[in-house]
Amino acid sequence: MAERYSSFDRRGWAWFLQRLTAAFLVIVLAFHFMLLHFVNHAYEITFLGSQARMSQVGYFITMVLFLVTATFHGVNGVFNALVNQGLKGTQKKVVLGVLAIAGLGLVIQGIRLALAMTGLV
Amino acid sequence: MSTQLQRTETEGDESPQEQRLERKSLAEGEREAQRTEEESTGDETPHVHLKVFRYDPEVEAKREPRFDDFRVPAPQGTTVLDALMYARDEFDSTLTFRHSCRQAVCGSDALFINGSQRLGCQTQIQDLDQRPVRVEPLPHQEVEKDLVVDMEHFYDQMEAVEPYFQGETPDEEEQLQSRENREKVKMSTRCIWCGACQSSCNIAAGDNEYLGPAAINKAYRFAMDEREDDDIKKHRMNILEQEHGVWRCQTQFSCTEVCPKDIPLTEHIQEMKREAVKDNLKFW
Amino acid sequence: MSQSHNRGLIEDFGRWREFAPGMWAWIFHKFTGWVLIGYLFTHVAVLSTAISGPQLYTTTLRSLESLLLVRVLEVGLLAVATFHIMNGIRLLFIDLGVGLESQDKSFYASLVLTGAIAVASVPTFLSGAF
Repeated sequence: MAERYSSFDRRGWAWFLQRLTAAFLVIVLAFHFMLLHFVNHAYEITFLGSQARMSQVGYFITMVLFLVTATFHGVNGVFNALVNQGLKGTQKKVVLGVLAIAGLGLVIQGIRLALAMTGLV
Repeated sequence: MSTQLQRTETEGDESPQEQRLERKSLAEGEREAQRTEEESTGDETPHVHLKVFRYDPEVEAKREPRFDDFRVPAPQGTTVLDALMYARDEFDSTLTFRHSCRQAVCGSDALFINGSQRLGCQTQIQDLDQRPVRVEPLPHQEVEKDLVVDMEHFYDQMEAVEPYFQGETPDEEEQLQSRENREKVKMSTRCIWCGACQSSCNIAAGDNEYLGPAAINKAYRFAMDEREDDDIKKHRMNILEQEHGVWRCQTQFSCTEVCPKDIPLTEHIQEMKREAVKDNLKFW
Repeated sequence: MSQSHNRGLIEDFGRWREFAPGMWAWIFHKFTGWVLIGYLFTHVAVLSTAISGPQLYTTTLRSLESLLLVRVLEVGLLAVATFHIMNGIRLLFIDLGVGLESQDKSFYASLVLTGAIAVASVPTFLSGAF
């Protein structure tokens, strides 16, 4: 058992952030469904409608935060599920790397398309 | 003279206690009759059908695991351990299983009975719904012979949390614990190291390095003990905060469900998680 | 030790009939989690048509929405998301140390709520699909 004591325990933070993002996502995901399926109907979707929503600063920021937290929550969840199954060693490092890159890619692509939706870029 | 008189009186007129006992034995007789009808086998005592896991690498016929059937008498009060002992003593002396105290204290006879981890000595045949009663060794541990599993890994995990008191003992003084603090750790002290929880845990099955419910509960018992110094508590938290410590718990409640001593294991693990987070946030 | 027998993991999923509520909650939470992260990637991929221009975005999404299969899958997605949210709230409370004694009841409650919400949303999701 390692004697090193770190005040910044990565696992503890990951666990804590998973819960924090969960609390945020519960609200935003419910809002997202309400807005895009019940208030506005998905089958009536037009680019102009999406643009009108995305052009509001508050909505834009919420959606970007939604994207970032959901990606973290999901990717970290997948990683945890695999560690729980006994993933370890080099395999674990590779999986972590792949998941991190995929997550980062998703966030970048998501922000690109959000910007495209605003019609400003 | 007077004593003689009294005796004749009691002989003729039964005391309430005796009447109660008689009523009780009558009721028992009725229930017994009902059971015999249920599990009627032709003779007086009800019998139970056991299906027992057999494996022995040194015997040709048992190198491939199989199930053996035993029919053993099971009057009221028979436990699974009693039934196994009967089967061993009367039918097959090679039937192997661990047992010692027969009263849920030594923690030797945790078995997989009808699909759940239970102590053989604590499980009444009558309380089991399913027939035949399936008795298997604890899952997720290597089987050495019949119902005997390798407990080495479980003990290693227990050792890893340093399961002993590390407080300073004042000279010639007792190490008194406050009532409140004793209440706090009371349930966690009941662990008998039977390994039922570890065997029931889906995560411990997948991640071999996970400390597991029993070890975390042990760590809780000492980390929560106020008689230990802060340094030691920090050291204990350090063990629990590793990647394969408390964070692996997925709150499936399987351990809490099977614990024969009713220790709220999940609750204790959750409390250690919160302690660990609080610990880390302090430095912020 | 000369030899021993590893019974492996057969106990786990072969014995699903004996699973306790807490175990089911975990299985459902994990399954819905995999679905949601999978959907997040596809969702972003589909919406990325916006980068190639408004016209493509509108036609792609409209044609997808015109498929009955997509509509049905959306109801499934709503059910999956609702369960993950409901059970997620349950888990947050368990992490806070609240209601551990009634964790089985709260699991049943999240199931019932999920079912109710999914059924209630069917008209909205399928309107105009036929």
